[in-house]
Order: sequence, then C-alpha cells, then structure tokens
Amino acid sequence: MAEPSLELVDVRYRYHAGAEALRGVTFSVAAGERVGLVGPNGAGKSTLLLAIAGFLPAEGRIRVAGHTLNRSTVRDVRRHLGIVFQDPDDQLFMPRVGEDVAFGPATMGLAPAEVRARTAESLEAVGLAGFDDRSPYHLSQGEKQRAALATVLAMRPQILALDEPTAGLDPRARRRLIALLQNLTTTMLVVGHDLDLILDVCGRAILLDRGQVAADGPAAEMLRDARLLESHGLELPLSVASGRA
Amino acid sequence: MHHVMLDHFAGRNTPVHRLDPAAKTVAAIVFILATVLVQRDHLLPFTIVAAALAAYYVVGKVPPLYAAKRLLIVSPFVLAVVVLFPFFEPGHRLWAVHVGPWVLSVSDAGLARAAHLGSKFVLCALTALGLLATTPFHGVLAGMARLRVPRVFVVQLAFLYRYLWVLLDELMRMRRARAARDGGLGPWSLRFRSHAGVVGVLFLRTYDRAERIYWAMAARGFDGRLPAPPTQRMTSKDAVFLCGVAALAAATLTLDRLAYG
Repeated sequence: MAEPSLELVDVRYRYHAGAEALRGVTFSVAAGERVGLVGPNGAGKSTLLLAIAGFLPAEGRIRVAGHTLNRSTVRDVRRHLGIVFQDPDDQLFMPRVGEDVAFGPATMGLAPAEVRARTAESLEAVGLAGFDDRSPYHLSQGEKQRAALATVLAMRPQILALDEPTAGLDPRARRRLIALLQNLTTTMLVVGHDLDLILDVCGRAILLDRGQVAADGPAAEMLRDARLLESHGLELPLSVASGRA
Repeated sequence: MHHVMLDHFAGRNTPVHRLDPAAKTVAAIVFILATVLVQRDHLLPFTIVAAALAAYYVVGKVPPLYAAKRLLIVSPFVLAVVVLFPFFEPGHRLWAVHVGPWVLSVSDAGLARAAHLGSKFVLCALTALGLLATTPFHGVLAGMARLRVPRVFVVQLAFLYRYLWVLLDELMRMRRARAARDGGLGPWSLRFRSHAGVVGVLFLRTYDRAERIYWAMAARGFDGRLPAPPTQRMTSKDAVFLCGVAALAAATLTLDRLAYG
C-alpha cells in the first residue's frame, strides 16, 4: 500500500493558558482522498490545521507527503501542504492579485517564466483569468475566496487544506466553489461546519470533539447519523434533513 | 464599504499614465527638491512649478476637485504652523490687534514667510498627489524598488496600502455598532470610555490579523525575502519627460538665485 499523504499519530497540544486543545489525535489520509474534518466550535479543528503546518509546537508525530514534521523539515512540509485560511483578507496580502498568486511559486525559487505560467493557470482554474492587476480589496467575497485558493494551487501542493472555505459566501458563490473543489484531484482536508459542503466534496469524514477523534468513516454514513451528530453539537446537513440526499 | 483609494484615477490611459512609474517617482522627487530649495520670499519661482503641475494634471485628466479635497485632508498639520508666522516673524508692522494687555502684530516679513511656506507645502503635496493620481500604487512601489529604496521600506508601504482600508473598515463597523446602541448620545465620560474601548479592541484585532497574515505568508514559503516585483523598461518618452522635469527644476532654481542676487 502506498504511503499516506498525511499521517497523524497521537498529536497533542496545550495552549499557554492551560487548555488542552488536542488530546491525542490519530488518523491518516491516503493520496487522492478527500476528507472532511467536522466538529463543534472549540473542537480543535483550526488548531489541528495549524499544528499540521508546523505553526504550533504539537507533540506526537505528523507526516506530510513523506516528511516527518520537525524544525528542519517544516519548509518541506509547507511546500507540499497548501493551506487556504479562513479569512481571505489574511491570505491575500500583496497589492495585486497576480503578485499574490505568484508569491508562492516565486518564493519556491521557480524561474520567472514558470511563475508567470503557474499564475495564469491557477487564476484560470478558479475562474479569475485576467484578474492579475486587480486589488484584493476590491474583490467580492466569493472572488477573494477563489483567489485565495489560486494562491495555493499555484504551488501545486500534494495536499490541500481548507479552513471553512464557504464562510461568508452567498449560495451562488458557494455552489461555484463546491464545483471547483469537486473537479480537483488533489488530496484534500476540508475543515468546517458546512456539512452539506463536506457531503458534496468529501468521501470520508472525521468528527473531532474536545481535541479527540470521535468518529471516522464514510461521509455519506456519518453525516446521516443524526444521533451521532447531535451528541457532538452538530445537526444533519440540510440536504439530508430535507430528504434531498 | 469601499473607500476612495489614493490611486483612484490611476487606471486611466493618458500619456502621463503611460510613463514609467520609476521615471515619474524620480520626477516627483526632483520637483519636490526644487520647490523646497527655493530660498527667497518671492513667489515668482513657484509659478514655474505650479504651471508645470497644472499642465501635468490637465494631460493626466485628474479632476481638480479630487486634488483639492485630498490637499485639504493633509493641510491641517502645516497650516497650523503657517498661520502663526505673520505674528512671530520680526519686520515692519502692518496691523496690530490688542488682546487685553497683549499686542499681536502682523509683520510684512512674516506674511511673506507664511506665503512662501504655504506655497511650498501646496506645491509639494500637489506633486505627490499628481504622482499617485496617475500611477497605480503597486507601480510606485515597483518604481521605488528599482530606485534601490531599501526593500524593508517598500514592503512596509505595500502592507500599509493593502491593510489600511481593511482596518478602516473594521473601525467603521465597530463605531457603527456602538452608535446603533448609544445613538451618539449618552454622557460624555461614557462616550470617551467607549472610544478607548474601540481603540483597544482595534489594536488587539490588528495584532491577531498580523499573526494570521504571517502564517499565511509562512505557509507559502516566506523566509523574510519578498520576490521582486515585475519591472518595466524606460523608453525614450520617459527620458524626454525626465529631461523636461530637470530643465523646469533648474529654471525654477535659477530664477530664484537671480532674484536673490
């Protein structure tokens, strides 16, 4: 069996204030798999994402694309892990969209022609061709979210990690993002409360609560289990509750 | 919420918009230097700078009202000083105002000095505004980078430009939320305290955002060096423009020296 894209063994993290945010998280994600990471507020979802990217000094073992995370491999890990943060205003920090998408490939040290090609290709992939010269401040929320995705796609990561990608999007912008994610073949970790999104995009779901994995299985089964979801502060996805899925 | 950006008219397509941003940045610096170096309290040398700026604004189709409004925003700091000059500069007394036991006198030398400094300020500000009104901000930044302005400085400006409006939006939302509850009324002391609260929360949010931005940058491989912005090549038109600017600056200073001697 091929090596998993992402592997977590007994990952623990405690905040300075003393609260234990991650209490022994263990799971692995196979190459090409799309996994939804769900759970109530404060379950440790975003903390886990930061730990995987090496921003928080967590205990336990984290392997990303064959690199065991430690101080000397953190740059390799981040190169293979594309994180789209929740607020696109944090993600888009350059004066122009084009420069922002080019940022990742340029810091990877790619040749200028390759950087340009990847920038154009990524903007095209998210439906923002020709947005190079626009200021991120002047984009709509949906456009910002897709531009943020493009900044990461340009680095061709082995794993995409998205934190609440549909937060603040109207139904049309949300639909468009879902269609976009469905067409990507990258390994994916989607964090969030939007269970309909996870049902649409991910084959597998992991339920995190109080810093531990509470359930792990096929998304279509787990997200139809009203008792399980309710006992962890979640509700059936709307499409399930209304009998559409 | 969308603010009128500094470079609101920078997307137009006129001969001055098409000039190389680096050339325009140099030209603005030369003009500002020439204006500042004028020594004599005589307005004649300034007319050359003023006429050149007027021509630039006309060719660049910059609305005068836009420039005037922005000029007003930056003027209070300087005007406060300029207004005091007529009273404190020694010279021939023109008028005297009696305020109780004190006599406030306006001197001719003081008035001339105030007019001189006021003109310098207006011309320098209009030069900078002219640059920003005809050049996208990222162009100015790229120009500065090519002129070997330290990278740290250029990057600071880039972040300022990117996040100033985001911050102002946050401030506006918080003030609105407060106004929705107190209706702008309430005792003065309470309003003062809530102002302090808004400032404190804004500081914390800014701090958090800075950390999240750093994460987003580090996640994409940031190691302290920003990639160089794309560059543009100077053309013969830019060279002609720069020569013209240099000639006008020289004419301004020569006129000043002649009047001085």
